[in-house]
Order: sequence, then C-alpha cells, then structure tokens
Amino acid sequence: MTDDPVLFCLHFLGGSAREWRPLAAHLGPAARCVAIDLPGFGDAADQPGADVGAMADHVAARIRAERPGGPWLVAGNSMGAKVALALARRHEDGEEGLSGLAGLVLLAGSPPAPEPMAEERRQAMIAWIDADPETRRREAEAFVAANVGAPLDPEDHARTVEDVLRANPEAWKAWLTGGANEDWRARIGTLATPALVVSGAEDGDLGPEAQAALTLPHLARHRHVVARGAGHLLPLERPGALAALIRDFIAAPPGTGETPTLPPAFAALMGSERVNTRLRTALRERMREPDGPFCLAPEERATLAACLDRVLPQPGPGKIDLARRIDARLASGTGDGWRYAALPPDPQAYARALRSLDAAAAETHGRLFRDLAGHDQDALLDRAAAGRLPATPDGLAPELMTCWLEELRGEAVRTYLAHPAGLAAIGFTGIGAGGDDAEALPGYRLTGLDAREAWETPILETPILETSASTGDVR
Amino acid sequence: MNLAGQRRYGTDEVVDAVVVGTGAGGAPLLAELAAAGLRVVALEAGPNFDPAAYGFDETLADEIYWTEERLSGGSTPEAFGANNSGTGIGGSTLHWGAFVPRADPRDFRLHAESGEGCDWPLDHAELTPFYDRVEAFIGTSGPTPYPWDEARRFPLPPVLRNGPAQLMAAACGRLGIAATDAPAAVVSRAFTPGGAVPLRKACINCGFCHQGCRTRAKASMDVTYLPLAVAEGAEIRPDARMHGVERDKAGRITAVVYRSGGRDLRQRCANLILCAGAVETPRLLLHLDLATGSGQVGRNYIGHVATQVWGTFAHEVGMNRGYPSSLITEDYVRPQGADFAGGYLVQSLGVEPLTWGNAVARGRGLWGPALADYLRRYNQVAGIGINGETLPCDANILTLSDETDALGMRKAHISFGYGPNETSLNAHATALMRRIWEAAGATDIWVLERVAHTLGTCRMGRDPDASVVDPFGRSHEVENLWICDGSVFPSSLAANPALTIMALSLRTAGAFLGSRTSR
Ligand SMILES: Cc1cc2nc3c(=O)[nH]c(=O)nc-3n(C[C@H](O)[C@H](O)[C@H](O)COP(=O)(O)OP(=O)(O)OC[C@H]3O[C@@H](n4cnc5c(N)ncnc54)[C@H](O)[C@@H]3O)c2cc1C
Ligand code: SF4
Repeated sequence: MTDDPVLFCLHFLGGSAREWRPLAAHLGPAARCVAIDLPGFGDAADQPGADVGAMADHVAARIRAERPGGPWLVAGNSMGAKVALALARRHEDGEEGLSGLAGLVLLAGSPPAPEPMAEERRQAMIAWIDADPETRRREAEAFVAANVGAPLDPEDHARTVEDVLRANPEAWKAWLTGGANEDWRARIGTLATPALVVSGAEDGDLGPEAQAALTLPHLARHRHVVARGAGHLLPLERPGALAALIRDFIAAPPGTGETPTLPPAFAALMGSERVNTRLRTALRERMREPDGPFCLAPEERATLAACLDRVLPQPGPGKIDLARRIDARLASGTGDGWRYAALPPDPQAYARALRSLDAAAAETHGRLFRDLAGHDQDALLDRAAAGRLPATPDGLAPELMTCWLEELRGEAVRTYLAHPAGLAAIGFTGIGAGGDDAEALPGYRLTGLDAREAWETPILETPILETSASTGDVR
Repeated sequence: MNLAGQRRYGTDEVVDAVVVGTGAGGAPLLAELAAAGLRVVALEAGPNFDPAAYGFDETLADEIYWTEERLSGGSTPEAFGANNSGTGIGGSTLHWGAFVPRADPRDFRLHAESGEGCDWPLDHAELTPFYDRVEAFIGTSGPTPYPWDEARRFPLPPVLRNGPAQLMAAACGRLGIAATDAPAAVVSRAFTPGGAVPLRKACINCGFCHQGCRTRAKASMDVTYLPLAVAEGAEIRPDARMHGVERDKAGRITAVVYRSGGRDLRQRCANLILCAGAVETPRLLLHLDLATGSGQVGRNYIGHVATQVWGTFAHEVGMNRGYPSSLITEDYVRPQGADFAGGYLVQSLGVEPLTWGNAVARGRGLWGPALADYLRRYNQVAGIGINGETLPCDANILTLSDETDALGMRKAHISFGYGPNETSLNAHATALMRRIWEAAGATDIWVLERVAHTLGTCRMGRDPDASVVDPFGRSHEVENLWICDGSVFPSSLAANPALTIMALSLRTAGAFLGSRTSR
C-alpha cells in the first residue's frame, strides 16, 4: 500500500464521528481519518434511522464525494462494522466509485449474522431511549459504562454520553429492531479484502469468541487481535494500540486467515451462563496473541513454527500460533513440574534442538529447516525421533532429540487443547459444566454411552474434518 | 477453606507439634491431635483455595499441582507435575481421583508369601478400624456388599457410571470377570459426618475431579479433616514453606524455619511431624541432614505400574462426563498362575482432553495428520487402566541434584525403573486389558505405559538399619521427629494409596498421643 491512505470511520450505536478523535490523533500522518456520522447519529441526528443498506449508501456517497486519490480503508466499531462489511461487498462486486478499498478495520464489530443479544436487554434499550430526560441520562451513563473494560477518561466519557443522548431515538430503535437483526451472511459471503479484526477481552456479546465464530469466517484474509482489558468501545479505550495495529496492518496486510475461527455453537456456549467467568476469561486470554517476553531468537521461533506445522497440523482456516505461545511459556519460566533429567532446562533444550534441526537441514539440503518441503521436514523429524540426527556443536545431543520431540509433541497438544479452537475441534462440552454460582452448578445429568443433553448437541455435531484417513502409530 | 476464625499460636510459643503438609497424611492426624487438645500448627507450602473458584479447566488447575521442577531419571522415568503431587491446603487430595480401594491383606505380607518385596510392620486387621473411621468421616460411595470384601460398608450408594464404566462392565460380564461400581470418596448424596464439618452437596458428574471439585462432593482434606482440625483448635498457615530446623545439643528439633511472604519465620515446637509427601519429605530430610544416619532416606522409592489401554468405540462415549473411574475389578490382586509377586486393580477411565491429548502425543508417539485426526476422536474413546504393585529396589532412589530451586534447596532427582516383577506384571495386565477392550468392541487399541503415585523413600520398619521410621511413623534417629505420609510405605500395594495413608495417619496420631502420655 502507498502512504497516507484515507480511513473512513463508522461509529457504534449511539456514537458519532467524534468517537474517532483520539484514534485520529494517534494515527497522525499514517492515515487520514474521515469520520462519518451515520444517519440518525451525531450531526446527522435529524435524519431518521436507516437499515444497513441505507447506511452503506450514506457512507458510499460520502466516499464518492471524498474521492480518495489512493487506497482507502473503512473502520467500523460495532454497528459501524456491519456497514463496513456491506461496503466491502459492494466494492468487491465492482460498484462504481468504490474501487480502491484496501482494508477493513472491524472493531468489536456487529457481524453479518443477526447480532447475538439478550432479548431482555434489547427491550430495555428500546424502552429507555424514549423515557424522561432523567432516565435517559442515567441509562446513557450506564450504557457507556457497561460497554468499556475500565472507566473512560472523564472527558471521553462525558462526550460519549452526550452522543448517546443526542442520537435520534428512531435511529436507535431502527438498529435494535432492524439493522442488528438483518441477516447479511449470504450477501457478504467471503470477502477477499484484508481485514483487521479487534475484539475486547471484556466485551459482552461481541467479544473474541463471537468475532471468531461470526465475523472471521466471512474474511479470507484476516488478522484477529484480542485487546486485553478492553470492552466494546475500542476506539475510545485503546486508541494508541489501535493506531499501532492499523499502521502494521497497512504496512503488511494479512495474506490469509491468520487466526482460527470458532464454530458458532462453541462460541455461544462459551458466552453462555453455563461457563464460569474465570474460565471464559482464561479462554479469551488464550485467543490473544502473547506479546512477550519471549526467549527464542526469531530464526529459532520460525524453525519451531515450521516444526509444529508438521507435528500438529491444523486444518484451518486460520491456525493457532502454537510457536508464539510455547515461546512465551518458555520465557515465563513456568513448567509442568518435571523434565527428563538428561535434558537441559526447557529454554536451552528448545534452542539447541532447533539448532540441531537447522544444522541437519543445511547438511542434507543446504537450506534451513523451515524452507524445506513438508516431506523433507517429516523425514528429518523422523530421523530426529530415532536419535539419528548428526551431532552439532551448539545443538542437542542426537539421542536427546527423542526426548525433546516427545516434550514438543506434548507441549503442542497441551497448547492446542487449551485454546477454544482446539477444544471446539474435538467437540468438548466440558466447559459447560457450570457457571459462576457454585451452589447451583448444572454439571451433567447424563453420563452414559450415547446419552447427550440437549445443550451439548450443537457442539457434538460440529463436523469432524479429516486431515488424512489414517490414524496409525508412528512409533 | 474458611480459616477466618481459627486459633492462632505465637511463633515463640512452643507448640506441641508442627505438622508440615496438609494432604492425605497431614490432615487426619492434625484433626486428631487438635481434638485431643494439643496445640498444633500446620505449615502448608501452597495457598488456601476456595473450591467454588476452581475453573473447570486443566490449565487453570496448574495452581493445585506441585509444578516446581523435579528431575526424572532411571529406565522408566516418572512424570511429575499434574501426574503426581498437589499443593495447597489439602495437598494432593485437591486433585486426587478419590478412588478408594482398601489395601488387600495379602499385600501386607508380600514377602512372607512370595519372597519378594517387603512386609509391612503391621497387621492389616489393625488398620481395619481406621479404614472404617476414615470412610465414615469423609463419606464414601460404592456398592454394598462389595464383592471382594464382605465386611466393607459404604455409607452412600455408588455414583453414576460413565461411558467407559459401561463399556468395561459389559465386557467383563462377557469374560466372566467380576466388576462393579468403584469405591469412591465422592458423596453421591448430600453428606456431612456432623459436627464442625459443613454439609457437602452431591456430585454433579462434572468429571473435573482432577482439576478441583467445585461442589465439594469429592473428599479433599480441606472439606473434611481440616475444617474439623480448625474447629478443634489447630492453626493452619498457608503459603508457609518449611525449609529448616533448629536443633538442640541432643539433636532434638526445637523449632521449624519456614518461608512465608518472602520472609523466614521460626516456629518453636516440641515435635515435628513431616507430611510433605514422598518427594518433599525425603528431600527436606536430605537437605537438612536429618535422620539420614542409616542411609535409608530416599531409598526404596516406589510408585505404581499404571499402564492404560485405550480404544475407539462406535459409541458417543463423552468420557469427560461423570466421575472418571466409576468401575473396578479386584479380580487380579492375585492373578492365577501369575509369574510375578503381587497384583493389580483395574479401573475404567474417563480423562479430560489435555491430559488425554498429552498422553496421546507423548505416549502413543503420534504426530502429523495422524495426531490431529486422532485428537478429534475424543468423544469416541475410552480407557481402562491398572494400579499395580511395584517392589522396592536399590536402583529406585530419590537423591538431590546439583540444580537448586528458588529457595536454594537442591532439586529432587528421582530414578525409577521397572524390575523383572513390574515388567511381568505389566505384561500380564496389558494382555488382560487388551482382552477386555476387544470384548468391549474397541478398535484402534493402543497402550499407554505410565507410572503413577509417589511412595516409599522413608519406609517404616522395625529394623533401624533398614527403615527410616518405626512401625508407627516415629523416626528411629531423631526422637521428636515423625513422618506421616506416603513416604512410609514399605511396598506400594495394589490399592491406590490415599485411603491407606489416611488410615495410617489416624493410627500414627494415636501412637503420637500415646507416646506423650507414656512419657
Ligand atoms: C492426578 C492424581 C490422581 C490421584 N488419584 C488418586 C486416587 O484416585 N486414589 C488414591 O488413593 N490416590 C490418588 N492419588 C494419590 C494421592 O493423592 C496421594 O497418594 C496422597 O495424597 C499422598 O498424600 P501425602 O500426604 O503423602 O502427600 P500430599 O497429599 O501430596 O501432601 C503433601 C503436602 O505437603 C506440602 N508440602 C510439601 N513440601 C512442603 C514444605 N517444605 N513445607 C510445607 N508444606 C509442604 C504440599 O504442598 C502438599 O500439600 C492421586 C494423585 C494424583 C496426582
Ligand atoms: S465429578 Fe463429582 S466429585 Fe468429581 S469434581 Fe465433579 S462434582 Fe466433584
């Protein structure tokens, strides 16, 4: 992408163009923000509410008017993200005046599917928007507070509450009864436009698991980032971090689906009351890409990643970055309570073993392990498992490679099955054994063969994808 | 557990006993001594957990495991961590499986019977009343009558069978093997022994016994003996890691030094009772050069042959649901025509995904697409496993390595390997389990070689040259030092150890009290 793209910014329900000020400031010259008030909100509050298509028309008109000279992007927060998705579809369908879309930035986005939301809450929101001023103010305050992971800066908070109060109640209701429920799944299909998806670890219905289940599957090229401690109003909560992510995204957009998707049934269970908050928090944290400290050198990590792709292939789309997670674990110094006495401490064992693999790859093929074809990598791993790699000065002794590979296989699987995508892939329902009230845990009523409870069915019927036909012993 | 109103003792007060460790060995004894009116302080290296806050997750459950590194060597290196020891108020009972067979009387006389192993310096009949008391207090569920022990009574009916149990029951039926609901220290109905111990609700079949029981249905020490101990006036100090002692000229222990909140504190005491488990107890003794005169500390490390057999079924098994090991057979405590001493128990197995996946990856050796595909069979697989005798031998020993931990204490190095007896027993059991799983209709059967439990290292005996403590747990060398945990086992027994450790704990408590009155 060239420099200075334009970033059209679409706000959340009750927000306005003002929501984007902090992000625009952080982005500086990296992108020029053009924040738009959607019909019925902000300075466009005099307009009635609109459905998703009409909101997209409104934005498209603005984009045409702006006539960006180079590439442009659309960012949407929550409601705005659904409009952004609709625009991307129109762009990909070749609509005139919308060429040049280079990326989507979907922040706690409302997905193409009807937005998951408790009916009670929807009704309450519909009711108070038309209530007396005092109630409206109180509820608007509560609405903003409930949608952030930690209190906003008082000025941002006050401005956001004012935005909610100046929204046209008809537009507010139009979204809650209309736009949010519109089913755009078939229309959106799979978009080729690269997308940066950010979710807040403290978000309610549109948190990490909902994004992984409902948004990512529509994006062929996505990067999903989980923002620790953040809620739903990400542009206000994390402007600095978002600016950095957007800069990276513009510089190096994802070429594929980078992170795993989740089956909707598993995401729904994860978000339900059957799952306790501590577990949900932990599962969401495991969806977040660890940002260090790490202990392997970049080349070592790349070799590790190549190794893990062979040891535990993930069918995708998107895969869990096991290497990054294992590297972070090595750096944390925590372990599983034991190791083979013959092996050096974990971080050393890993670094040495990876050097042994690279040295062997160089010797046999004149290339690094990660640059070899899959079958050549497998052949080296087989030799390593048999203790038959050549000895290298700073590597691991050949006979210890057997132990190390065993460690690696165990670590790969433990890391994989700690992640919601891993648990979902094997059809695990156990996370639903009980929520926060320890006095009223449902557990399982049925424990026998072929006896499942109604709530388990959607998880158990997640299709089993074959990676290959055989399950033979390798050893 | 609730420690809010517990009695407190000053560190300068010479308490009657400091008990180190609050697991299966420490807790019953602590309650007994407190009930007898003694001033007792328990030091526990781990934290105090609120069961309601456990997460139903294997990785979150790391908090209840002892994950400080141990080095594993020998010809059959044993896995520790989640495979072996716990930490926190309640010790390993926080994560134990609560599978509670009693020891078979023949296992106490293994040497007399077979010339192998080591006899226990006590009569099984002597332990029976203690078993009865423990079971009535912690609440056990199981089938009365119990096929292999007419006298055994369960206060509560069995817990529900899960898929693996149903598969094993049907197969055993076909093969003419007696199998029945497992003896489980899990309450199948709401239960309290009365008094100071809060009511525990019935098991909800969540299957997370090894990750900490949120309902308190499982009998861990923090919901059974320890509330009683506190009610009787014991003080329990969490996050208190003992690492030193002070001794007088005669060699008697006068105070215990422990690290708490980054500081060393010193508790004066008249007696020290080590209940830190069969790795940490000998490690402390070796570190402090206590009772090491006979050279026996750390020797005769034993565990159990704990091989498992896995298969895939044409059923939705969903093995994570329900109490994990809900079926047992004791038909092989003395297999007919066996070419080895001792025997084994067989149990059905349901295992949570990480533990199972880890076993598949490490133990089955799968990788690549074969591994990824097999993991996705999770809901169709079931296992059976054994718990089999291991004989003490010279090569199996705990020593201190040259690497040190954060406290500057040398890490434990455990050498463990099978001798001919374990190898024969394992082969016999593996063949049997394969037969059962074939009869159950399993396909893609495979064997997971596994060692479980940490026992021995400070064995009890009458001969001070061949044991560390006397038949009641008192050190042969240091008069006011006692040991009460899995390290006193002279042989491993076919039965899983914890119920026997608890029964021994009550017995040691009685002996300790007796030793004071007779003084
Ligand atoms: C996964 C698993 C499942 C099991 N399932 C069963 C089962 O189904 N049935 C069965 O019978 N047995 C089972 N066991 C074994 C059983 O839990 C143990 O044998 C038993 O708890 C050992 O009791 P103990 O008193 O020797 O040690 P522990 O219960 O381990 O207690 C030792 C305590 O001492 C503390 N400690 C250690 N060092 C120090 C120190 N320096 N200072 C202060 N405190 C210290 C530890 O933190 C710990 O709390 C299982 C074990 C595991 C790991
Ligand atoms: S299965 Fe029963 S005993 Fe085990 S953890 Fe769940 S409730 Fe507790």
